[in-house]
Amino acid sequence: MSYDKDGAAEILPPQAMSGPLKFQITMASDPRLLAVVRSTISELAAVWGLGDEGCRGVTRAVDEALSNIIRHAYKNRSDGEIELSCRTDADCLEFTFVDRGEPADRSRICAQPLDDTSLCGRGTHLIRQIMDQVYYERVGEVNRLRLKKYLPGAKRKA
Amino acid sequence: MKTAIRERSGSTIVDVTGDIDMGTSPSFRKTLLESLKNTPRLVVNLREVLYVDSSGIASLVEVLKEARKAEKRLVLIGLNAPVHEVLQLTRLTRIFEIRETEEAALES
Repeated sequence: MSYDKDGAAEILPPQAMSGPLKFQITMASDPRLLAVVRSTISELAAVWGLGDEGCRGVTRAVDEALSNIIRHAYKNRSDGEIELSCRTDADCLEFTFVDRGEPADRSRICAQPLDDTSLCGRGTHLIRQIMDQVYYERVGEVNRLRLKKYLPGAKRKA
Repeated sequence: MKTAIRERSGSTIVDVTGDIDMGTSPSFRKTLLESLKNTPRLVVNLREVLYVDSSGIASLVEVLKEARKAEKRLVLIGLNAPVHEVLQLTRLTRIFEIRETEEAALES
């Protein structure tokens, strides 16, 4: 929706409503911000067209990824910096997380089988359950994690 | 997240309100472990909870382990769809005792 010079709302043509979306924030590694990000990502997923369950899933995956960065990369320090960017196209929603904390343990990212009574490892398991692709790389002093979610029936690209 | 603790029919009921995430789960865990010490049956009412992350799930698993060790019971009630979903995704629905209502938890 846009507004003309008289302030009246104008409905945009369909292609303008369904084009790619880009979104980026930089946040402190402070757990108090997680609720703020969950709220934002949930709205973003809804704008992209996911249903309630899909929105909840994507929001959960982003929240678990941020929690892992705070807990493991920044060792629960709240003064680290995390860049979260999101972009969408017609069939794919992609989140990229960049931080400058400790390198991730690749064996954890590869999600071990779950043990009923284990007290850790479920965050990574949840991310893998919800998202279609998970990539992690360490570039210099930077951790970069990318999560991709395809629309049901979308052709998957590497 | 807020918790309120009350007693009913010889059980302790913890009413939880708000999201349980890595910022709030330490307080959630502490409240449940403290409450478990003084009761044979701990009922956790999650009706006003719309989000539980993996740290909240880990807290529940830890309290369940403590309850089993002490031969006590942990019962979860009032699970909303998002909370039920996360228990399903982590394949934990079968290890927790889950009831719809407080009455059902107290009768079981």
